[in-house]
Amino acid sequence: MIEVKNVNKSFDGKQVLFDISANLLEGHANLIIGQSGSGKTVLMKSVAGIHRIDSGEILYDGRNISQMKSNELNLLRREIGMLFQGSALFDSLTVKDNVMFPLRMFSNKSEEEMEERARFCLERVDLLRALDLYPSEISGGMQKRAAIARAIVLNPKYLFCDEPNSGLDPKTSLLIDRLILEITHEYNITTIINTHDMNSVMEIGENIVFISKGHKSWQGNNTEIYDTGNEDLENLIFASDLYKKIKKAHQMGI
Amino acid sequence: MFGKQYVRELHKQGINSLPIVCIISVFIGAVICIQMRINTESPFLPSQLTGYATRETMILEFSSAILCLILAGKVGSNIASEIGTMRITEQIDALDIMGVNSANYLILPKILAFVTMIPCLVTFSITTGLLGGFGVALFTEMITPMEYEQGIQYSFLPYSIQYSIEKSLVFAFIVTSIASYYGYTVKGGAREVGKASTNAVVNSSVIILLFDVMLTKLLLS
Ligand SMILES: Nc1ncnc2c1ncn2[C@@H]1O[C@H](COP(=O)(O)OP(=O)(O)OP(=O)(O)O)[C@@H](O)[C@H]1O
Ligand SMILES: [Mg+2]
Repeated sequence: MIEVKNVNKSFDGKQVLFDISANLLEGHANLIIGQSGSGKTVLMKSVAGIHRIDSGEILYDGRNISQMKSNELNLLRREIGMLFQGSALFDSLTVKDNVMFPLRMFSNKSEEEMEERARFCLERVDLLRALDLYPSEISGGMQKRAAIARAIVLNPKYLFCDEPNSGLDPKTSLLIDRLILEITHEYNITTIINTHDMNSVMEIGENIVFISKGHKSWQGNNTEIYDTGNEDLENLIFASDLYKKIKKAHQMGI
Repeated sequence: MFGKQYVRELHKQGINSLPIVCIISVFIGAVICIQMRINTESPFLPSQLTGYATRETMILEFSSAILCLILAGKVGSNIASEIGTMRITEQIDALDIMGVNSANYLILPKILAFVTMIPCLVTFSITTGLLGGFGVALFTEMITPMEYEQGIQYSFLPYSIQYSIEKSLVFAFIVTSIASYYGYTVKGGAREVGKASTNAVVNSSVIILLFDVMLTKLLLS
């Protein structure tokens, strides 16, 4: 479990996160939702320790990351996998080498064992046929999947996914959502997902944190989300007519 | 991992720079030879002067300082834009979150590789430059190859080669570290990467020139 307590974060005097507290649960998909520019990425990077927070605490199963020395932080980071908004695959390496990169850096397995592990992860995301291609030669969805494979290759305890399905078609994004959820349950990972995709929210929202203009304004799950009485949240989620209809149907008990 | 990265950089910055170094040095060597000949054509000056002056110009200034200014354009902009692009596409964040020391992993092999390669590039440039001058002697009537050869052997101080290489080591460090700094600290998008690459080239050129004056004063007088 990751506990976020009263986190504030600003850049050059401009405050982005205001006093955010939330519990992110183990073995569950924890969703951070909010409008574009509301501070989701900043929150995720702060929790992951890429941004230093101004004040507050972030506890990884009781371990406070702002008090860690750099070598402790580096050890913790081997338990973290991250999928970035733009995939962030190393473009000088092939898909296979990208996935093997963390292994080469941090494991003392033999070359064959590493290769086997990389193949296993790529198989898991159904990408074995792109093994020897470079990131620029594969599609956006494939890049996302390769990045997922890289993020899970070291068996992380904590998995961060920044908009895993932005720019993907509904079918592929559903596949990716389900894949992440499956992995989360299978390996009991604390998974944090940023999204503004409402399909994902309904599909995998086991613990949803809603961020509005840098403030946390609601937390709950995908059944509670129909009746929140939170105007900002309703405006975000039920923005389209389709979702308005779904909401109505839900309230009528269909 | 580090070794692999280092070898890749040796190849990219060293071997891949050989063609441009060769072309520029041959032509500058030839031009300097011609100009020296024209300017020193007088019955009171020995004809060996042309070869001598060509050699001194190449060794003392062109093959170290000017060459590094040119390579600041090639290698410096390449490094700044490569690291800068990695920064804006979150590849550096990805390294950091894995617990890899990104600065170490990305920058150190580049600096070490270029500093390793620069003595070879300088020596190569001196050689090809002198061959350029020899081409002039061979294919024109301005001086005979014999006179040119005597000229480039006249009163040769091995120390000047050492001086040239020492200078170039400093310049190589300046080019790569400044370019890495600008690339690593990029914020924003493609426009900022372009700006970082320009800044890297301009600033490292200016600093090279400053150090050129200081080192020349220190090492030669
Ligand atoms: N490195 C930074 N330096 C300065 N300001 C930043 C930085 N990163 C983010 N911001 C600011 O923080 C605010 C929130 O940005 P953030 O990237 O977290 O939004 P987001 O919710 O992830 O949006 P999107 O859904 O579009 O990705 C923005 O106003 C942005 O300008
Ligand atoms: Mg974002």
